Amino acid sequence: MKGKQILSAIAAVLALLLAAAMPALAEEKNDIVIGGSMPLTGPFAFAGIQFNRGLRDYMEWLNEQGGIEGRKVRYVAEDTGYEPDQSVAVFRRITSRENVSFYFGDSTAFHQTINRELDRRDIMMTGASFASELNDTERYPLQFMHGPDYSEQVAILLRHIAEEDPGARVAFIYSDTEFGRDPISAGRETAEELGLEVAARIVTPPGAADISSAALELRRARPDYAIFHGYILAPIPDFIRRARQMGMETRFMGTYYSMDQSIIDEMGEAADGFMGVMPYRYFYEEDAGESELMRAIHERNDEYQTIYYIQAWVAGSMMAQIARETLARGEPLKGSRMRASMEGLDEVDTGGVIGVPVRFRGNSLPVGRIYRADVEAGRMVPVSDWIDLD
Amino acid sequence: MDWLFFIEVSLAGIGAGSLYALTAIAFVLIYKATRVINLAIGEMLMVGAYLFFALGAGWSLSWWLAIPMALVGGGLLGMLLERGVIRPMLGENPISVFMVTIGLGSILVGTVELIWTSAPRSLPGFMPDEAIFIGEAFIAPNTFWGFVIAAVVIALFLLLFRFWRGGVALRATASDQGAAWAMGINVPAVYSLAWGLAGMIAAGSGILLGAMSGVSPEMAMFGLTVLVVVIVGGLDSVFGALLAGLLIGWMESVVGVYLGGEYEHLVTFILLMLVLLVRPWGLFGSHEIERL
Repeated sequence: MKGKQILSAIAAVLALLLAAAMPALAEEKNDIVIGGSMPLTGPFAFAGIQFNRGLRDYMEWLNEQGGIEGRKVRYVAEDTGYEPDQSVAVFRRITSRENVSFYFGDSTAFHQTINRELDRRDIMMTGASFASELNDTERYPLQFMHGPDYSEQVAILLRHIAEEDPGARVAFIYSDTEFGRDPISAGRETAEELGLEVAARIVTPPGAADISSAALELRRARPDYAIFHGYILAPIPDFIRRARQMGMETRFMGTYYSMDQSIIDEMGEAADGFMGVMPYRYFYEEDAGESELMRAIHERNDEYQTIYYIQAWVAGSMMAQIARETLARGEPLKGSRMRASMEGLDEVDTGGVIGVPVRFRGNSLPVGRIYRADVEAGRMVPVSDWIDLD
Repeated sequence: MDWLFFIEVSLAGIGAGSLYALTAIAFVLIYKATRVINLAIGEMLMVGAYLFFALGAGWSLSWWLAIPMALVGGGLLGMLLERGVIRPMLGENPISVFMVTIGLGSILVGTVELIWTSAPRSLPGFMPDEAIFIGEAFIAPNTFWGFVIAAVVIALFLLLFRFWRGGVALRATASDQGAAWAMGINVPAVYSLAWGLAGMIAAGSGILLGAMSGVSPEMAMFGLTVLVVVIVGGLDSVFGALLAGLLIGWMESVVGVYLGGEYEHLVTFILLMLVLLVRPWGLFGSHEIERL
């Protein structure tokens, strides 16, 4: 009899626990899940940690605003170490246990590798890569970029040069990696179309420690502008210092991933005058208050936030807009349906972080602004209007 | 042909090669004394650079204080690795020891990422900034002073190796461990000394390299080219390391400018393949070098 009582008590407790858990389970089932393969360790961790914080904070803020059409948003991510095979493993793990609608990827290699799987599972993806190859709606129908692809970034720089200094001589300095080579041939064509002369193409081997001979090559070419691509920091400072030592007056420019505030902090004096393309407003920008998203970012953070953190907010905001549009059409949050809603958007909601109305061209948003490093002020300052390639 | 330009490119290459040579000496020193192929040499170099970064930028110490402290730190790291990881592996299959050094490399990279994150950093400047001209040929000051410092350190090392008691003990242990034991040389202490000195040299290379291109965990990749240098020069030949370092530095520089940067590593690895086919023990190495 005693045994029976104990069993009954256990059953009652279990029933209570189950009853308590049911609403939570039902609630979780209704959640919109955003998965992520995040490079929280490894060579890309400096950005990955910020992407992760940015997406987590954005989802938290979005839920405080009532979520998407009343549905909560849940962000689930794991570390990849910036290894494509690990990114794939994380993708499989998360998508097998969650009903994922959106995914955030960490590298071009992962975006390429996982493409078929995305099609199969009908999941929409964005991420850290701005590779030009991904800007192909036929081959990558379920992927989108929340900024200009690398070729478009170079095109924005070239357009600025052509306006400021028609007929200028331009050199491309890039790393011998898939990332580095990405925009070079398109960049040459764009330069020619804009009446600019390509004075040199200088390639540095991956991880090159010494760029002495490449700097001599640059001096021989004597370009008015040199555009770096495929680097984060090194060897940009070394090139600039050597060019100054050789008495060159070349103006140096970079693409998105070499444009964080850290370039000023790490390069010091040598950074002065360094320019580059940036699709988003910086944290400290004076007109940041015009942007709803920037205001929300400022409410949550007193200290400077990197461009990667802001990029993650933009990515989150675009996912939310695509989901809202799809739900408004009465469609399920499946990749192919969301693609159709995305294409129907007249204007993409970047929460004002991109300072002009934008819309997709293919899989990208071909808009950016030129900023210049002002070392005395200790910040990046805009030197052009927003340039829209569309 | 623009000969002045060719000379400038060659000088730049020899400057870069001096860093290969310096790091290769650290590699050869360990191999000669302990017969360990230390694949973590690039990571030891990276740790040295980060120590200088921490002392010079983090603690804001003057460079003349931060550099010796970073060198001592590099030396201590070398001795610690030898005593804690390599010595217990004595007598094991060389492949096992080789694999352990690969693991050590990963641990060092992971530790650096934990402490300083993987974000690239710049080192505090400590070299003169004025352009250097030899005749009409320009040499970047970093390259020039890097070469001068590397040359002085190598010369000092050779003198120590030749005349200092510890250097004699090192050479004796390298040529015959049994005989060295029999003559009363403390072989385990020699092991520690070799790893300590190699750690210091690697830290010095790391600081010079970091002064040129900044520091990041990726700078450990430098060790890969150093491996090519020592295989080409001969794993147990100091002279081979010096010559192969300068040769590969010069070759990469000339190839990079005249053929394009994408061919630099290709040509280096073709040279490696040719040497392995024709003289697998390297240009100046001993015939009895063990094949792995």
